[in-house]
Amino acid sequence: MSEIVSLLAVFPDIDPAAQAVDELRRCGLEDGDINVISGIPVTEAMLGRPRQWSNVPRLALGGAVAGFLIGMFFAFGTPTLYPIYVGGQPLYPGAPSVVVLFEMTMLGMLVATFLGVFLDSRFPSYRPKEYVPQISDGKVAILFRCPIEKQERAIQALFALGAESIQPAEAQVL
Amino acid sequence: MTEYKIPEFSANWAEEDKGKWGLVVDQDLCTGCQACVTACAMENNIPWVGEADAAYGRAMHWIRIERFWEGEYPNVRATPFQPVMCQQCGEAPCEPVCPVFASVHSQVEKINIQVYNRCVGTRFCANNCPYIARTFNWRDYERPEPLPNQLNPDVTVRRRGVMEKCTFCIQRIKRAEDRAKAEGREVYDGEIEPACVQACPAEALTFGRIDDPESQVSKKAKSGRGVKLLEDLGTVPRVTYLKGGA
Amino acid sequence: MSEQKTLYSPSSSVAHSGDDELEHLRREHLMLDPRPRGEMNAMVMEAMLTTSWKFKLVFAFMALVVIVCLFGVWGYLIAEGIGVAGLTNPVYWGIFLVNTVFWIGISHAGTFVSALLRVFKAEFRRPFTRAAELLTTFGLVQAGLSIFFHMGRVWVSYWLFPYPNERQLWPNFHSALSWDFLAINTYLLASTMYLFLPLIPDLAMARDRSTGWRKVFYRILSLGFRGTEGEWTHLRIAMNIFAFAILPVMFSVHTIVSWDFATAMRPGWNSTIFGPYFVIGALQSGLAAVAMVLVIVRSTMKHMTYFIREEVFDALGKLMLVISMAWAYFFFNDYMVQWYGGDQFTEKLLHFHEAGPLGWMWFAMLIFNVAIPWLTLWNRKIRRNPWALFAIGLGVNVAMWLERYIIIPLSLTINFMPFTWRMYVPGVEVPLGIGTLAFFILLYMAASKLIPLVPVWEVQEGQLAHTVRRVGKEVVVSVAEME
Repeated sequence: MSEIVSLLAVFPDIDPAAQAVDELRRCGLEDGDINVISGIPVTEAMLGRPRQWSNVPRLALGGAVAGFLIGMFFAFGTPTLYPIYVGGQPLYPGAPSVVVLFEMTMLGMLVATFLGVFLDSRFPSYRPKEYVPQISDGKVAILFRCPIEKQERAIQALFALGAESIQPAEAQVL
Repeated sequence: MTEYKIPEFSANWAEEDKGKWGLVVDQDLCTGCQACVTACAMENNIPWVGEADAAYGRAMHWIRIERFWEGEYPNVRATPFQPVMCQQCGEAPCEPVCPVFASVHSQVEKINIQVYNRCVGTRFCANNCPYIARTFNWRDYERPEPLPNQLNPDVTVRRRGVMEKCTFCIQRIKRAEDRAKAEGREVYDGEIEPACVQACPAEALTFGRIDDPESQVSKKAKSGRGVKLLEDLGTVPRVTYLKGGA
Repeated sequence: MSEQKTLYSPSSSVAHSGDDELEHLRREHLMLDPRPRGEMNAMVMEAMLTTSWKFKLVFAFMALVVIVCLFGVWGYLIAEGIGVAGLTNPVYWGIFLVNTVFWIGISHAGTFVSALLRVFKAEFRRPFTRAAELLTTFGLVQAGLSIFFHMGRVWVSYWLFPYPNERQLWPNFHSALSWDFLAINTYLLASTMYLFLPLIPDLAMARDRSTGWRKVFYRILSLGFRGTEGEWTHLRIAMNIFAFAILPVMFSVHTIVSWDFATAMRPGWNSTIFGPYFVIGALQSGLAAVAMVLVIVRSTMKHMTYFIREEVFDALGKLMLVISMAWAYFFFNDYMVQWYGGDQFTEKLLHFHEAGPLGWMWFAMLIFNVAIPWLTLWNRKIRRNPWALFAIGLGVNVAMWLERYIIIPLSLTINFMPFTWRMYVPGVEVPLGIGTLAFFILLYMAASKLIPLVPVWEVQEGQLAHTVRRVGKEVVVSVAEME
């Protein structure tokens, strides 16, 4: 096994970055060794990268179900636990329960979506990370890990594509 | 009552139209003397709100005497006096709107009760009462010495920010029921008199069991002169007004 | 689109001077006038970091008003009881709830702009989605406060929360107020989360270019965001879910607010059209409020003339006109059916609205809500004049406040028991209302100095998606679907 180095290449735009991803693949790097960091949402399709897996939609659905169940408890569980009759209305009113179910379902879904972003992106994490501040200035950076013997070839190829800088990726306090 | 299979309609608690306690107000006898208003205030520890607040409509009477003038001056005629208190609706609009169950239905006494300790003061119940029978504790009203000695120990003293209303003097109902139970009998007709009924010099007010067809109140209510206030709203009021005789 | 047809791609910043048509388009649309991201970042940062002495003066004044009018008077109200307000029998609800409904109405703007316009991909929204979302969050804060003012025993307001307790009592879910409690909380939470999600990349941007306490502040708030593919994907999916899901929540909130009135047995209230009528009313005042806030932001903050252009006011003006027509439609619907019903109390109430001692409110409502927008907003020149739009928006907001005043305390004056009819004279509601307004302005001013007010990454994303091309001889703007 050879030594692995981590490199961060900064590109001025999306196009060269997309080509660089291809170039790195040609150098024999796996998609899993490459990560693109950008200041605007650059989609996988633009970069020709495999689709990102996200749990957010499933978590949202799960949250909706959980919210619905909590709503069921509010609308039907609490009157069963503590039955109190009011205004000639049935203990389990129809239409008002729909309102409660709707609100709790939406609340569950939205809170789960929000927390899903935290879970999937591992927020908050204040550990030092590989990053350069130019990224939020609109640069597109490619963070990749490659075996040390392929390093030279990759660096040359990326510079040829217009990389502004390529440096060893050092974790720094953000 | 018909039982339906739909869960919403299967609740079999819905009160039968007759209810339990009822009041009859004979407007033909009422003299508008306000004795009931005073007696009610004494019995139920209703605070004096002072001149300024009373003038602004914040008097906390649980019963009020309504009177109108009809016609154009000089041909005016006073309408019969109309004492209005909580109508103890069988299907009370004030109950479902309370978010904290402060306004609930007593399934035993079949009247509408206000739980002061639960009230958070949203005043939704007062807005939804078509009879405007509810009053609110706008402030902590002063009760100078020696007036606190007059307070009725059977009735809670309310603080600012809670809603209250006529209870049909439930403390008197409960006391009579306890006494009857101790003596091993039923409460007899006329045994219970809310403060307003007791104080009425014209005997315009009658209280009793409306589910008992033999009681005074049932007979009077069926006398043919009886009307209910705003009956078309479907609130099933328990107070009957007698008007139009002699 | 073919290569040779692309005259000008904003992303490559190739300027074709000399072509008047292109130059005009560039001046007109922010999306066609791209600047390097670094420059836009610097502009937004400078707008955020620059505070003039005027800002500080207004801020201090608002803080003073909040301390005196809001917290001072509120303390007095709690200590003395609701009696110091103007409420009475039978007007149990007054300006506190007028303000609640008003602020919830204002809060609809943010969601409308950022969710509905996002769903429909209206590109002019990009620079001001955050400015509008702040309106939602801070408006809801004022609405919540107004409810607390209103409560007789605010110190036990937590009893509305559904939680197992020693009192063995759960909230009554039959009550419209309980639905309101759930809906407003859902909306407040959802709108705050929806404000925060697209803010994370901008907070990271601010983190990268600040020092001192701000560095720490943005570092904590940006949660360690870098902009990796994964982070962007999760964010984009979440924002998509939010944009679609928050819309029904928004509609439900004001519908439920309207049910507080519509479910009650009161002449003038028991109306089945109140739900949509209130929602449209909320959008009416909300959009006007967005226009007003944008005018002030644009004229007081640095570089905002670049981000917020006349096209924004033009588009908002059109929306305001459409919503004003919709409001008139619902108002007339409600009025027509009530009038035709012929119920004697409703008839008295309608007469009281129009010809009662406060009849001027009814006419002012119609003039500022309908007549003035209809007479002015069709005109492109007026729509594009920020201060003219500000004046129209102010009129609309005043009219919408009056509408709620007519619906709540004025309508409560008339009921089924004529003996109790009584007019309402406001008491401490007035300073408390001013207090909420000042608190809103204070929060907004503070936020404008603490978070980037323009979502820079969204602007850049939009600029990337826009190109200009020629169809035949005409120069047209085309937008690429990138999301």
